[in-house]
Amino acid sequence: MSNRMDFLTFIIASIRNKPGRNLATIFCFAFIAANIFSGQFLMAGAEGGVNRGISRMGADQVVVPAQYMVFLQGSGPDNTMAIIKVEPSIYRMNSTIKDTVGKVGGIAQMSPQLYITSLNTPKLSSARVDIFGIDPVTDFTITPWLQQPLDHPLEPGEIIAGHEINGDLSSQISISGHVYTIAGRLDPTQSSVDNTIFLRMDDAYTLAAIEGIVPTSAPRISPGDVNAILMRDVQNENPDSVTAHVRREILSAYPSRNISVIGRHFTLDPVSQNVHGIPVLLNIISAFVVLAALPLIAIIAAMVSHERQREIGLLMSMGAKRNVIFFLVIAESMVLAVIGGIAGIGASIAAFFILNKQGFLNSALQVTFTTPTPAEISLMAGLALFVVISIGSISSLWPAYQSSMMNPYDAIRRE
Amino acid sequence: MIKITGVTKSYSTSSSEVRAVDDAYLDVKQGEFILILGRSGSGKSTFLGMLAGLIRPTNGVVRFEEMDISILPEDQIAGLRAKKIGFVFQFSGLIPTITALENVMLPTLFCREGPGCRSRAVDLLKKVGMSDRAGAYPRTLSSGEMKRVAIARALINEPLLLIADEPTGDLDVDTEFEIMELFRQLNHEGTTIVMVTHNPDLVPYATRTYTMNRGKLAERNGPGAFGTGMNGPAFQQESLDLP
Repeated sequence: MSNRMDFLTFIIASIRNKPGRNLATIFCFAFIAANIFSGQFLMAGAEGGVNRGISRMGADQVVVPAQYMVFLQGSGPDNTMAIIKVEPSIYRMNSTIKDTVGKVGGIAQMSPQLYITSLNTPKLSSARVDIFGIDPVTDFTITPWLQQPLDHPLEPGEIIAGHEINGDLSSQISISGHVYTIAGRLDPTQSSVDNTIFLRMDDAYTLAAIEGIVPTSAPRISPGDVNAILMRDVQNENPDSVTAHVRREILSAYPSRNISVIGRHFTLDPVSQNVHGIPVLLNIISAFVVLAALPLIAIIAAMVSHERQREIGLLMSMGAKRNVIFFLVIAESMVLAVIGGIAGIGASIAAFFILNKQGFLNSALQVTFTTPTPAEISLMAGLALFVVISIGSISSLWPAYQSSMMNPYDAIRRE
Repeated sequence: MIKITGVTKSYSTSSSEVRAVDDAYLDVKQGEFILILGRSGSGKSTFLGMLAGLIRPTNGVVRFEEMDISILPEDQIAGLRAKKIGFVFQFSGLIPTITALENVMLPTLFCREGPGCRSRAVDLLKKVGMSDRAGAYPRTLSSGEMKRVAIARALINEPLLLIADEPTGDLDVDTEFEIMELFRQLNHEGTTIVMVTHNPDLVPYATRTYTMNRGKLAERNGPGAFGTGMNGPAFQQESLDLP
């Protein structure tokens, strides 16, 4: 105990030694906090899952050399599948085409890809290994598949390895005498990406310059050459419309028709719309719980204040001013709110941890639940705590006012 | 120190007006031990309430160190109570959720410049013979022990005036004696005490004694009139309206 009595000690003692009296209030606060936190947690987790899924859906459009389209016939990517990377081809174009495509509205991201070569190296994989160059700064199709986000941008000499490529994180592999460090590994994609190694574009040009890397039958790779520009549309933009615009722009800039555009032929809207419906429902439930709890807690607070009239009278007889009594009642309610809030949030986190481990959240939400980051969880907990503290303060305003306005002599004489 | 002039406290009922205290006069000097005798309902607790600024008089003036506390704003009176007045109630008046020591320290919450430190609370508990029960909660204390703690609490901010409202009303004779001896000691150390009781046996402890009968306050024969206690001839001859 401190050398001097303080308000917090007094409030905590009042709560600690009257558990029955305060349990109902704490439970109410815990319920509200759990409700608000759960709503936010579920929304964030579901949205995170959907966003991760969307981010892994690849490009909405791909700009390629016209010959690539011919090459695709019969062997290219299925347009119902996500476009994560283009197929290996020797048909290239200059990356400055980005400037032309960039004029089209509705495009959020653009990133080039360059196929270098394919290797039959059992040490790296039992299957043929494709080597691709990407721009790690603008890439939006490969990095979303990383098992763990990179803790730094891909540096020279570092690679991202497909799921079937041998080698652990930070281990080194050698390609034609060049040593590279595996900075990231990808989740399985069930496509040729699993047997692909991705280098920075500058490393790709360096590697391509080595004699024998690029088949002699293929044109040499010069700096600035790319096989494709992958594009992601602005959210809610109609991909077909954007594709049409890109086609028009390219046709205007390259009338020789040596550049083509591939558009994605499936839509993500039904999934995202389903998930976006969840927050509205959860917010309505949270608002209802808060509104229902407010008068309930106010009644409990009024009952507690009534029960403590003599105590309040005694405090006044000792010299407690009216504002001190007002503060004490409010502060006690706020402490109860904090205790209840922390309990509710803690219980929710524990429950979600168990449910997520059992896979219940994935099946209930029908999306891959992505656990929010610690920072996001802290923010949600802070919001839930802020709401319950606000409710605690607001609901005890009237009881606090009534207590502070009591006549001390009458209050003392009440049983 | 305290001068009460023509103080009246009236309560209106549906049919009539009741005068709990009727035109009372009292002049309390530093170091006095004033005893007010009266039966239940005579108005003595209401009178003490006005003395402590807990009740505002209907008429009259209550001066505490030249300040008219009957017209002071509520917060100023509270400040005065915190710094200069200690109150001991008939019931224990202890807060049940905190220990005896914490109860003693409690008034320091409202009086920042007061001594109010833990060591003083410990000293006071020692003074009232409760140092070994400092960590006990009120529910585990006897009536006498609770009263001792309440007295220690009333003294924590070193008040000029100690007001006691029937502090021995619910105690056995032995405990009552111990508590009154404690009051006597405090008074000898310089604490001014105003106490109400319905027990005429306590008269010998006082330097001056008053009676309160149906709201009327009257001094009984001046200092020393009851010097020989309840068996003294003067007291026996008094026609007090007492139980």
